[in-house]
Amino acid sequence: MLLNRRQALLGTAIGSFAITGRARAEDTIKVGVTVPLTGPAAEAGQFMQWGATLALEAINGGAGVLGKKLEVVYEDDQTTNPGAVLAFSRLVNRGDCAAFLASIRSTQVNAIAPDVIKAAKPVMFGGTDPTLTHSGNPWLFRCRPNDTFSARVIADYGVNTLKKTKWALVHSTDAFGNGGKNAMLENLKKLNIEPVLVQGYTNQQTDFTPVVLAVKQANPDILCSYFTFEADLGIFARQLRQLGVRQPWIGSPSIINTTSLNLAGPALWGTYGVADFNEDSSPVAKAFATKYMSRFKKQADDLSSWVYDALNILALAMNNAKSTDPKAIRAAILAIKGYAGTEGTYTYDSNGDGLRGYNVVRNDKGKIVFDKHIEFAS
Amino acid sequence: MAILLQLLFTGLGIGAIYALVALGFVLLIRAASVVNFAQGQFSMVGAYLLVVFFTGLGLPYIVSMLIGVVLMAGFGVLFAGATYWPLRHRGALPVIISTIGASIFLENIVLVIYGPSPAVLPGLFDNPGFDVGPVFMDSQYLAIIASATLLVILQYVIFEKTLLGKKLQATSQDKEMASLLGIPVVTMVLITFAYSAAIGGLAGMLVAPVLFVSVGMGGLIALKAFAANIIGGYGSIPGAIIGGLALGIAETLGASYISVPYKDAFAFAMLLCFLAVRPQGLFGEKISEKA
Repeated sequence: MLLNRRQALLGTAIGSFAITGRARAEDTIKVGVTVPLTGPAAEAGQFMQWGATLALEAINGGAGVLGKKLEVVYEDDQTTNPGAVLAFSRLVNRGDCAAFLASIRSTQVNAIAPDVIKAAKPVMFGGTDPTLTHSGNPWLFRCRPNDTFSARVIADYGVNTLKKTKWALVHSTDAFGNGGKNAMLENLKKLNIEPVLVQGYTNQQTDFTPVVLAVKQANPDILCSYFTFEADLGIFARQLRQLGVRQPWIGSPSIINTTSLNLAGPALWGTYGVADFNEDSSPVAKAFATKYMSRFKKQADDLSSWVYDALNILALAMNNAKSTDPKAIRAAILAIKGYAGTEGTYTYDSNGDGLRGYNVVRNDKGKIVFDKHIEFAS
Repeated sequence: MAILLQLLFTGLGIGAIYALVALGFVLLIRAASVVNFAQGQFSMVGAYLLVVFFTGLGLPYIVSMLIGVVLMAGFGVLFAGATYWPLRHRGALPVIISTIGASIFLENIVLVIYGPSPAVLPGLFDNPGFDVGPVFMDSQYLAIIASATLLVILQYVIFEKTLLGKKLQATSQDKEMASLLGIPVVTMVLITFAYSAAIGGLAGMLVAPVLFVSVGMGGLIALKAFAANIIGGYGSIPGAIIGGLALGIAETLGASYISVPYKDAFAFAMLLCFLAVRPQGLFGEKISEKA
């Protein structure tokens, strides 16, 4: 079939455009990020994006990755498990992402885990359910310490520092909350303590009176909590105080999140929290928090810091591997030792856990005060 | 006993929230034969209006609420024009789908305009509550219960004792016949949408200090309010109130005495029982197939 002059020119133009477009697309190395842009954790999604923005500026302002710029591609996980699966699947199907960042919510990481194995590319995540990295999935890498450590720190601080022995445990019944509960029970058992109350609740409640009354009836001398959503924590905290429960309270990191502090206000004053991120815990954390505050006029928390670390670790691993081959990136992540991130010093073990310590902080009339950092060897 | 009384008060408060939102459902069912799945989002928009006028512009709380209610009424008319009017001759299903679409649109447009950060609003009263014997009376729950009671009385008076109410009911029952009798059907339908949106917005403003103001707040309560509507009797005003209160009390007592994690299950188990045993609900009438 003969082409006339106009068709030939058009074909050449389209061909050139396609080649140029492809070349442009390859000028960056892409990381797919599932992020809650809608749903109850939409604000957390905003903080994640801000963490990513600062990470990209740091990486691309330097040598970049393999001589190229790093780029992130967002997909909305809608703060739901089906949404997370759909978002991850969309990112995988693009075919051009070298690696991925998944959720800070363990239940969503659990939901996408089978697809992560199929995708066979590194996925950094922030969920703290210990089992996520202990299920034989070689592609999951955690950028926060898992709840084995949070529970160890909570139990140790509550029993040995605060000298409390009569514990009540309130937890979400999702993967994160159950993981935290199991870890707490295990660690309290090691200290010969049987909690007087273990109370689960389902996420996104309008009222916590039954839970608060159960705590009140149990009359513990310390309360420990693993809350997934900040709004739930806010409602619970207010009702707890209204119904007269004043015992010391030590919670998982959500108790010191920016959103929780805003929603619950004075109801959280005087509480303790374990925090994977705290700006006073290291110079790297301080520098990140300062930059974050000056840029976004908000206090940095773990929702943004783990994303900042995850992208920096991926960039480091790709540069060390000198490749974007998934197996090479995986090997390079596992080889990381002593990387100073905002969340702590990362040394990855064979399971994909990089951190083994938590900070203990106190809510002093709305200001989060650093107490100490507790690091474990394993 | 003290715990039971506390649970009953809280259940009543939560139930009043469901009842308030359920009232909005009932109005549209009665007057326009429409199930509005954006009723929860009306509450969300109302709460955000209170944030804008009270927190943003610094107007007094009650003035902000009044402005919000008036604006919501206007919004209801616009909503009718966008979701109901173009589809009014195509049966119930397209209108239902249209309201579901509108609910998604409303959530996302508020997310775009206001951003994802939840907002905190103070309660209607400075005092968070007071103790009556062993029971803590949350002042906001008291305000919600009082508002629900007033609105029930108002709604009863409007529908049963006024000419406007009769016209609204006539419009709901047979639009053609109502039109032949000289009732301005279009105006009646628009009034109903306006009233329903205003009441939904008011419900949102009242629950905002309890649940915080977020884009998803409407969806949390609308589902239970709809269940309350079915339990109380589809389209029944007393049914919406009793259904809402029964649901609130049942799930609070169930959570406390049986299992907290299954709290939501109690509400929907109750709904399933009614659908199986008494589908017309507590105050509904059996609807037999028309010849």
